[in-house]
Parts: sequence; C-alpha cells; structure tokens
Amino acid sequence: MRYYSPASLKEFFKISSQCPNGQKTFLAGGTDLMPCYEQGTPLPDHLIDLKHLRDLHSISVTENTLIIGALTTIQDLHDHPLIQGEFVALYQATHEFAGAQIRHRGTIGGNICNASPAGDLLPPLYAFDAQLILTGPQAERHLPIHEFILGPGKTALLENEILTSISLNRKRLRSQFQKVGLRQSMAISVVNLACTWEEDEDGFSMLEIAAGAVAPTVLILNAFTRAYLENPKKLPKLLQLIDEAIAPIDDIRATANYRRMVLKNLIWAFLTK
Amino acid sequence: MIIEFELNGRLINTKIDPGKTLLEYLRSEELYSVKHGCDHGECGACSVLINDKAMNACLILMPMVEGKRVETIESFSDHKNLHDLQKLFLAEGAVQCGFCTPGMLAALEALKRENIEVSEENIRDSLNGNLCRCTGYVKPVEAALKSLSQMKNDGESS
Ligand SMILES: Cc1cc2nc3c(=O)[nH]c(=O)nc-3n(C[C@H](O)[C@H](O)[C@H](O)COP(=O)(O)OP(=O)(O)OC[C@H]3O[C@@H](n4cnc5c(N)ncnc54)[C@H](O)[C@@H]3O)c2cc1C
Repeated sequence: MRYYSPASLKEFFKISSQCPNGQKTFLAGGTDLMPCYEQGTPLPDHLIDLKHLRDLHSISVTENTLIIGALTTIQDLHDHPLIQGEFVALYQATHEFAGAQIRHRGTIGGNICNASPAGDLLPPLYAFDAQLILTGPQAERHLPIHEFILGPGKTALLENEILTSISLNRKRLRSQFQKVGLRQSMAISVVNLACTWEEDEDGFSMLEIAAGAVAPTVLILNAFTRAYLENPKKLPKLLQLIDEAIAPIDDIRATANYRRMVLKNLIWAFLTK
Repeated sequence: MIIEFELNGRLINTKIDPGKTLLEYLRSEELYSVKHGCDHGECGACSVLINDKAMNACLILMPMVEGKRVETIESFSDHKNLHDLQKLFLAEGAVQCGFCTPGMLAALEALKRENIEVSEENIRDSLNGNLCRCTGYVKPVEAALKSLSQMKNDGESS
C-alpha cells in the first residue's frame, strides 16, 4: 500500500488523478474504514489521507449560513457554540455519538460519505436540509443531502470528487434529536430521529421529521407531518402513515417490528409531550 | 516509508510499513500498557494520547502520526513516583484485573488537559469509550473525581 497526505486540494487532485480508479481510497478519521481493514478487507493500493487538507477543517458563520468543513471532527461540532445554540438536534447527535476517542477522530464528512442508514448525524442534517458541496478536479457542485445519499454505503460522489463542506441555513428552527440503541454509550442506533419545527400560539406552524435506521436511507416523513399539521387530533390513526413510509429490516440489533414500534413511540411521545 | 513523531518525549525517526497500526507499533516497542483488545475502537483498551487527546491506537495507521505527539501511560510515571490518577486508582480500589486501566487513565488524563469543569457527568462521558468487564465504573469514577478535583484545587492555589 502507498500512503499520501496532500496538503492542498490542488495536490490532492493531482495525486488522485494519478492513482487508478478502483485502487484508491480516501481516508478521513478512519473510524469506519479501519474496522473494515481489521476485519479482513484488504488495504487499498493507494490510500489518500484527507486530514491534512487544512481548509476543510473549519466552521464558518455568515449572517444566514453555517458552513462546516467536511473534515470537522464530531468533537469540534459538539463544542461549537453556534451548533449548540441554533442546531440543537445536530449538537445532541454529536453528544450521543460513540465515545470520546471516536469523537476526536471521526468526521462529519466520513459520517455522510459512509452513508450508513443508522449514521447519527444524518437525521439532523436531513431535517435541516443540508446542502453538500462536492469538489472535483474541474468543478464544484451542490447537492441536497437527500440527493447525495443513494443507499447503504452508496453516494452520488463521482470518481476523484470529494465532499468539501456542508452548508446549513440559519433558519433558527427549533429542533430535537433522539436515539435508541442497545446500551447508552458506544451503540449504533436501532432508530434515530431528528425533528425540526416552528411554533406559534396555535401549535406547530412547521414540522419536519427525519428518521434513520428504518429504511435504506434516512426518510423525511412528509405525508405523516402534513396530515398531522392538518388535523393533530387524528394522531392515533395517522401513525399508520409512518408505517406505510418506512421499510425497516431485521438485523443483529433489532427486528423490523421493534424498529416500527420504537419509531412510532418516539414520535408519539414527542408530539404529545 | 520514513516518518517522524514524538513518542513519550523522545523524537522518533523510523522506517515503517504504512499498513501497520499504531497499536502494533507501540507493542513491538514493548510499550505493553497499550492493550490489544478488540481491534475495532470499541473497547478503548489501546487508548493513547495524541496531541493531548485520547484516541484508539488500533484505528490509527502509522503514517497518520507523522509530526504528532504520542504518549502512553509509560510516560506518566517513573515507576517510583506514580501519577496522581494512578495513586488514587490504587487507593480507591479502582483496579481489579487491570486490563482496561491504562486506557482509562489515558482517557482521564485527556479530560484533565481539557481544563474544563470537573464533574461526575464529564468524567463518565470521557470514559464512555472504555469498556471494563470486571471492576465496573463506580470506583474508577470516584477515583477520577477525587484526583481531578484535587489537581484543580492544587492548580488554583499555586
Ligand atoms: C467504536 C465505534 C463507535 C461508533 N459510534 C458511532 C455512533 O454512535 N454514531 C455514528 O453515526 N457512527 C458511529 N461510528 C461510525 C463512525 O465513527 C462515523 O461514521 C464517523 O463519522 C466516520 O467518519 P471518519 O472520518 O472516521 O470516516 P472514514 O472511516 O475516514 O471514512 C468513511 C468513508 O467515507 C469516505 N470519506 C470520508 N470523508 C470523505 C470526504 N470528505 N469526501 C469523500 N469521501 C469521504 C471514505 O472514503 C470512507 O469510504 C462508530 C465507529 C466506531 C469504530
């Protein structure tokens, strides 16, 4: 295996274009990749470490947007005052993420590009309608996160393209993240969920719910929230719309039926609190 | 490839196989406080300090430590004068089989260096990534609370 650590995007694209497709892997914190290698996936011929791309580590704030570099660690997201203040669900997801050792290495870009159905940052990013900035050797393009993640481990990244940053609109939405795992810490989510909303005297004026680990990708439960906003009193009946939207599976952590029950209970509890 | 980094206060300049993990390297250097547990970042027994932060040595390939400062528990004391955390772990009976202890000490030392308010909550949080299957967490948390609040008071009075 050959290892590279480019210090600029220019250098990165030069190296990347010289390594044949299919024989190279990009590495961020390595917390998803390294366990695969330990389990027997062979190391790639060319490993390109993104960690020295300094520009991709920063979090910047303008009047209307928050821009997060793809290499920002889970811990740095957690410690950022604006995320704690305005993107509460994202903050809560970082708080319930693994343990300190993993939070110091794992990155937001890795969580997105790994495209696990259970990735904890994903429901908040869907609920805040995150825009992803992808950079290739020639051009940059922007995609909303729900168009970027295509299925488990599958994304819309092109060869030689990387995720460089994530942009969030500062809409001052209220928000909340919830996660159910098999133990309190260091647990992959059995179900995770982010809600964003606005409220006035009459109740919710806007509501969005993004649910994870109940389908191949995170789902925005549009049909359910629309019906609920029209007629909140019908909640017990409307839960059926959640059942129709999701497609959970049985795996070593939980059965599909358990996931259905947990998700509906979490949403029920949130709406009737 | 050749890499250069700091290990327990010494500058190391060495030829390495880029596919080797930091865990494998440290143990081959006879730094046996770094335990080979799960190989997946789950158990925390291989935790070391890298630039003052606790990380799992099993998830790090050697080239990633280029230019970094790596510390293992071997550097915390000279075997005669124990580190405060080590003393309190002994005094409080926070060690039973001892396999997870070096990793816990690394995680707690990282918390200490963060210089934030010491509370049971953030001690427990900093030990989230360290599995213990015999002593449990009550005694280690008590030892850490005592030791870290002591250090804080000492720091304030000096
Ligand atoms: C013990 C343990 C506990 C964990 N707990 C949790 C948890 O609670 N919640 C959770 O969601 N996850 C958890 N994870 C999974 C993992 O830590 C996260 O998914 C993390 O965010 C991955 O980031 P990374 O930088 O380490 O990714 P890496 O392993 O470096 O990369 C993952 C994938 O993304 C690609 N990639 C990374 N960055 C980019 C980029 N900028 N552009 C293009 N491609 C890129 C890589 O090529 C690779 O395919 C855990 C992992 C371990 C080992």
